[in-house]
Amino acid sequence: MAFKNLRKNFSYYKLYLTSVSLIITTFFAFTSFSMNRIMLDKISENGRVESMCNTISIFLMAFVIFFMAYSNRFFLKRRTKELGIYALLGYQKITILSLLTFENIFICFGALGIGLVTGAIAHKGIVAGITALLRLSVDNALIPLFNVNALKKTVGFIMVVIFALCISNSRFLFKASLMSLIRFEKKAEKGMAFHYCPAILGFVMILCGYGLALDIFRGRKSVWFSIGFYPVGMLTAIFILFGTIFFISAFLPYVMEISKERKRTFYTQIKIITIPNFIYRIRSNAKTLIMLTLFSAATLTISSVMALSLYYPIAAVSRMAPSELECRIEKGDQVEKVKQLVSEYAPENTVTYTQTDIYKVTSKSLNLPMEYSVGTSKGDSDNQALLREKGFECISYSQYLSLLQAQKREDVIKDLCGLKDDECILVKYQPNTDGSDETGKTYLLSVNRNDILVTVKEVTLNNPISFANSVGTLIVSDATYERIQLGGMPKTSILSINGETIENQESLFDELKDLLENSPYLQGHTHRINEIFSLSSSTFLLIGFLVVLFFIATGSILYFNNLSSLTDSKEDYEILGKMGYTETAIRRIVKKQIAVFFCIPFLFGLIDCFFATIVYKTGLMQNILKNSLSLYVPTLAAIALTAIIYLIYYWLTVRSCCKIILKS
Amino acid sequence: MNTLLEAHEVTKTYEKAQRPSLKKVSFSVAAGEFIGIMGASGSGKTTLLNVLSTIDVPSGGDILINGINLRRLTGKSAADFRRDNLGFIFQEYFLLDSLTIRENISVPLTLQKLLPKKIEGMVLTLAERFGIAPQLDKYPSELSGGQRQRASAARAIIKKPSILFADEPTGALDSGSATELLNTLLEANQELDTTILMVTHDAYAASFTNRILIFKDGQIVKELSKQDGSRHDFYESIAAEVARLDTER
Ligand SMILES: Nc1ncnc2c1ncn2[C@@H]1O[C@H](COP(=O)(O)OP(=O)(O)O)[C@@H](O)[C@H]1O
Ligand SMILES: [Mg+2]
Repeated sequence: MAFKNLRKNFSYYKLYLTSVSLIITTFFAFTSFSMNRIMLDKISENGRVESMCNTISIFLMAFVIFFMAYSNRFFLKRRTKELGIYALLGYQKITILSLLTFENIFICFGALGIGLVTGAIAHKGIVAGITALLRLSVDNALIPLFNVNALKKTVGFIMVVIFALCISNSRFLFKASLMSLIRFEKKAEKGMAFHYCPAILGFVMILCGYGLALDIFRGRKSVWFSIGFYPVGMLTAIFILFGTIFFISAFLPYVMEISKERKRTFYTQIKIITIPNFIYRIRSNAKTLIMLTLFSAATLTISSVMALSLYYPIAAVSRMAPSELECRIEKGDQVEKVKQLVSEYAPENTVTYTQTDIYKVTSKSLNLPMEYSVGTSKGDSDNQALLREKGFECISYSQYLSLLQAQKREDVIKDLCGLKDDECILVKYQPNTDGSDETGKTYLLSVNRNDILVTVKEVTLNNPISFANSVGTLIVSDATYERIQLGGMPKTSILSINGETIENQESLFDELKDLLENSPYLQGHTHRINEIFSLSSSTFLLIGFLVVLFFIATGSILYFNNLSSLTDSKEDYEILGKMGYTETAIRRIVKKQIAVFFCIPFLFGLIDCFFATIVYKTGLMQNILKNSLSLYVPTLAAIALTAIIYLIYYWLTVRSCCKIILKS
Repeated sequence: MNTLLEAHEVTKTYEKAQRPSLKKVSFSVAAGEFIGIMGASGSGKTTLLNVLSTIDVPSGGDILINGINLRRLTGKSAADFRRDNLGFIFQEYFLLDSLTIRENISVPLTLQKLLPKKIEGMVLTLAERFGIAPQLDKYPSELSGGQRQRASAARAIIKKPSILFADEPTGALDSGSATELLNTLLEANQELDTTILMVTHDAYAASFTNRILIFKDGQIVKELSKQDGSRHDFYESIAAEVARLDTER
């Protein structure tokens, strides 16, 4: 009988099987990864990744339990009527229970088998991906396809979950009376009264939450700064959380109820079905919908913030290390030694060396820019390990130009148009928070006892020298530079090395580091990018696991929920057909109903993600790049990916629903 | 009187079934008639109704309604035909649970793209006639079985169909509610000139009709007419006929 049942309910079980095996795939892949010593030794220093793995595996386990419990309960509910009929026919509860248990175990073991195989493959794929990305040398043959420990852990864990589910099923069955089993499916649909208060409350709370988030744009004056980032953040989150709950459970049905008053649009063949159906469904499914909305808001926000926090530092490398290699010359023969070393790695003619003397000049002016003194006291800027003296650091215009040429920054060179003797270009560390800039300001440069007056012709974010070697860089005309040089101001000498042939040469960088005795002034462009990748890749990978899991869960729950609610009202669609609704019209009704349920979590998630990203970007990230839309590319990519996944699930759901409803 | 429906040697054999469920059934219905269809369970009554109402296709024979041969209808044209000509009442009420009674009754009219004002007026008039006006803004789950069945009758009648098909409409009702519903149907038949084809296995319900076709094994075995006698006489003769068929078996 159990086998017959399995076959009969196949369309449900297919998805149950698929989603449970997807969950197990993720779980097994993750466990294999976190127990893969070979990989961990490569990417983790002093146990950072290990401890993160442990945290995430707790999340993951909680999640697996939640999801399996949800889908188990869901299927149990779908079956109660059938079980009730068995009970009526005189089957003993113990027989029904063993039937149910058998089905459950059959499916979970099937899923386990599939999940273990795909999980092992996924794990191999991940390892291959990481080794390629980080250019690690890993002997793939040493990593077993099935990690025995991970296998034990996964199988053990899933067994425990299945066992727990069986116990909970039996408790449910033994507690339930025959009556409640048969009547379980049709819960009372009374209490369609509408409460005005929570509806308005939900709307207002959501507005407050988003208003608070937008307030961060007021900069220093905003409550985020005057009260503090974390309290206001918490408050906003609470507003959004409860706002979402009330908005979905009260405001949306309220709006729909009001929209019924607009008779001209309501009394049409589609709307007269879809609007009441929506109200009805939201009444009975508000909890699920709220949960899904919060899920997808969290997923989108996490992926967007993660993408941003990887992308941003990489985009900022062009400012942190503009030259491929750059170092400070502190001893006489260092230049020769460095050139000697570099020539071992790349042919002489493919590399350009640019030596720049930077002169430190103080100023008596009052309205000095923040770059003049930034980094001179501890806690000013976490990017600077080194304290510096106050002052402008002057280089000449022609040095600026040749550095830019060596760095191949044609687009910057194109916009330059020379400097008069009393003009200068100020290199900003970050744009001023109030949007102003220093163009037109004049500064007095103290060179010996003379003061040289220079006017800021323009400000730029295109620093030719890394911040490790120069902050508050002032580009002056060649003539002014000469006067400063003659004045014998304190100077530092910087060697910038550029050329494609020395890119991605980590061993060259290591040897240079030894040569320069671990000088903190040594900077490398591609070295920095590689460093960021290897530091954040493990974080990403782990968060990635969570995000994938979220997607599987959200999508499957949406699928189950829609499928069951449409199957429950299958008769309704038969009637509509008899009344003269065409197949196209019924299809449209089905699509609309499903679309609404997909749109609510997605749109809410989208808006929440949007505001959260703005707050994160404005409040928590250093702003050393120009504010441009291109910074949000990773966020957009995350959103687009989510949209695609949702669309696929939507399509699948519509397809299965239409198949069930329009079968005859 | 002009013929509204004509069935000519209609045959229906389900896939996989050995014996046909309908065997060359022929009869005709004039406009304004109230026809009863009786027969034991499994004798093909529902099958006949499904075939007549374009929900299912016959394996052979022709059916004409208003001079239109149903054979010619496919997909969308069948749906449009149902929308414009046919009404349905079933043993179970099949009201849409999420819609109020008012909305439920309005649905067929929205299909005909009438104006909201007109729809509301028509719904109210009919609801008063059927005695469910106070329940209009309630949901189906808040109504009694009889009220629900009258609401679904109202939903079927409101668009003034050429023919109303009713498949054991009193099957799930207690005798009081059944009588109320039957009176409502009779009223619709007499005052609104709705032609009704009602399947029933209950002699009392059948006595409300003018003419009865009795089915056995997919064939019409007997036809009874009310003629000028009273409903009570008609009931007696139906009961006698049913009893006779029962003993024959
Ligand atoms: N979908 C179907 N497929 C196969 N056989 C069917 C189907 N529906 C009804 N039948 C058969 O056709 C015959 C007539 O059924 P039906 O019209 O439902 O009888 P009634 O409504 O008079 O009780 C029965 O023998 C039944 O088994
Ligand atoms: Mg029947």
